[in-house]
Amino acid sequence: MNKQLYFDIAATTPMDIAVAEIIHKANIENYGNPSSMHMSGQKSHNIVERSRTSIAQILNCKTSEIIFTSGGSESNNIVLKGILKKGDHLITSSYEHPSVLNLAKHLEQNGVEVTFIKPLKNGSISAEQVKSEIKSNTKLISIMYVNNELGTINPISEIGDIASENEILFHSDTVQFIGKEKLDLSKINIDFATICAHKFYGPKGVGGLYCKSGIILNPLIDGGGQENGLRAGTENISSILGMAKALEISNDTLLDNKKKILELENYFIGLLENSNIQYRLNGVNRLKGIMNLTFFGVEGHGLLMNLDMQGIAISYGSACSSGSANAPQALIEMGMDENEARCSVRISIGKMIEKDDIKQLFETICNIISRIKK
Amino acid sequence: MKEKVLVAMSGGVDSSVTLLRIIEMGYEAIGITMKLWEYKNFGGNNLQENNCCAVSSINKAKLVCERMGVPHYTIDFTGSFKENVVDNFVDEYLSGRTPNPCVRCNSFIKWDTFIEQAEILGAKYIATGHYAQIDEKNGDYFIKQGVDERKDQSYVLWGIPKETLSKTILPLGGLTKEEVREIARKHKLETAEEPESMEICFIADNNYKRFINEYAPDKVAKIKNGKTLDEKGEKLGSNDGYINYTVGQRKGIGLTNPNPLYVKEINPKNNSIVVGEKSSLFKDICKVKELNWLIETPNFPYETHCQIRYNGRKAEGTISVEENEYVVNFKDPQLAVTPGQSIVFYNNKTLCGGGIIKLYE
Repeated sequence: MNKQLYFDIAATTPMDIAVAEIIHKANIENYGNPSSMHMSGQKSHNIVERSRTSIAQILNCKTSEIIFTSGGSESNNIVLKGILKKGDHLITSSYEHPSVLNLAKHLEQNGVEVTFIKPLKNGSISAEQVKSEIKSNTKLISIMYVNNELGTINPISEIGDIASENEILFHSDTVQFIGKEKLDLSKINIDFATICAHKFYGPKGVGGLYCKSGIILNPLIDGGGQENGLRAGTENISSILGMAKALEISNDTLLDNKKKILELENYFIGLLENSNIQYRLNGVNRLKGIMNLTFFGVEGHGLLMNLDMQGIAISYGSACSSGSANAPQALIEMGMDENEARCSVRISIGKMIEKDDIKQLFETICNIISRIKK
Repeated sequence: MKEKVLVAMSGGVDSSVTLLRIIEMGYEAIGITMKLWEYKNFGGNNLQENNCCAVSSINKAKLVCERMGVPHYTIDFTGSFKENVVDNFVDEYLSGRTPNPCVRCNSFIKWDTFIEQAEILGAKYIATGHYAQIDEKNGDYFIKQGVDERKDQSYVLWGIPKETLSKTILPLGGLTKEEVREIARKHKLETAEEPESMEICFIADNNYKRFINEYAPDKVAKIKNGKTLDEKGEKLGSNDGYINYTVGQRKGIGLTNPNPLYVKEINPKNNSIVVGEKSSLFKDICKVKELNWLIETPNFPYETHCQIRYNGRKAEGTISVEENEYVVNFKDPQLAVTPGQSIVFYNNKTLCGGGIIKLYE
């Protein structure tokens, strides 16, 4: 098989070598329990706290406002479960990540009132849509920054202002945004933001939550009082350190990576544009590097399998634990015909991709489409 | 370049050995698991290990494929399966018939879908772990019964489209189940000790009454207690609704009689069941609908061997056409000829075709 070409960084990213090395070293050297009094424990404790400060500085918030978790799903759960009680109203969107969407449905069964806003035809949620759904019992607004299937960007700043004016708490699942764009929490009216390390070349199984100071949440996990009592359990020291390192690298190389990814995306779209492939790039205001493409008459699942057998990884639909997939739900939510949604795939470009890789992707897609198109 | 073969993987021992054989035959294999059902939505013991479509089974299929260096993909067909197989299964019971969902799945979903996916993947053939054989004579393809008489699964294949036979490989047809397990053990396959799959794959606890109750509660609620009649139409007692009975059933009738009583007929129209002694359950005639031939369509009347239930014995019969309907006359009367079940025709070991049993009235 040829070299593996990975075009699925919206699902997860390969870990930076520098991050892997720092994690490996910490795993061997820093085994002390951060809660222990001895030197070994103190050393681990300081690694965790230094990581917290580093992340807080990059996101421009207070150190104490960063809580470490096991990842995006847990952070989303902490917020929604920690805030919403029976009778409260939640405003969210119908194309959130399952860790918000399914949780909201679950909370709805337990007496929380939920409004699921459908994305507009352009693939985004507007601030006006959110505003019009506010009720007297609206307790929380949870709208993702960047949609994972489409790459479309939501007007988080405006939504935050609306929430603030109405004294409603505002949470955003920002996992697809952080590391790819600069997130400055001081400039947004936001109470909670979800962080996930493996979306920015960090380790899996570790994430964080920005929780504005002064807000009291009920913990999901009770125990030894770690993370300011909000998340018990011995800290995953090496992964926390790895996450901080990964965010530092992302932050330091942000402009270069953005420029590179923009060029690669434009190159790919240019190749498609000059071919006879019938396609459409879905969504309007998009984060560069996440492309949802409809290839008319070409079933997305079939395209994925064929590309995979030739060593190229892309994504189709909403993955589930069994590894099967349904038609991309976000597209259906924005009003796309199901048959067209079935012919849509997500191609997401990471910083490790080169121009030749894009060319190979394009040529392989051309060959497959000419064979399987109906 | 090697020809590609799409191998249908359920996560059981049979499909794993199928994959192994396909590779040994020199093909390039691609493993595909069709996800047909989501157990958690419809109860039963969904933690049972041998549910195909369950995540644990799909995981096993993936492990076996990886061990053999074969790509594996799962394709979601839950929508089509529900529509074509499960809805029909429930409707058939509600109509007083006894359906055979495996036949329907093979006839309407599996083969067509696998062939379609094979084309998408550039594969020339599909392979499944059914215990049956494909035979070729002068460019014409047939299905023959599997060598292992106890495991032969040709009965559930009568409805597959004939034109797919030339594209189908059934590598287990020449083996016994024990041989298949031995091969799996020898190769240390993760699935070597997998238990036999259930009778009805989408009913985790094999309790179809519970399933129908949960699946179509509104329709089932309309069926109140019914009458139990004798063959002359005299009321012998009452029962908890016809939906709870199948033709040939003996247990649970709730009547005492010197000789055991069996369900002879089910009448949804007046919510009654007719019971009789075993001797009254024999019939020498039935109608057949939805006929499919896997040989060249014969001339009628056509003498053949008929099998009226899975693992049943073959009986001599003659198919003829009466007023545009197919009728089978059995040489010897058959016990519990059950509407909704498949009647499958054989010529020696060759599967000629089949259809669905209808009452001859």
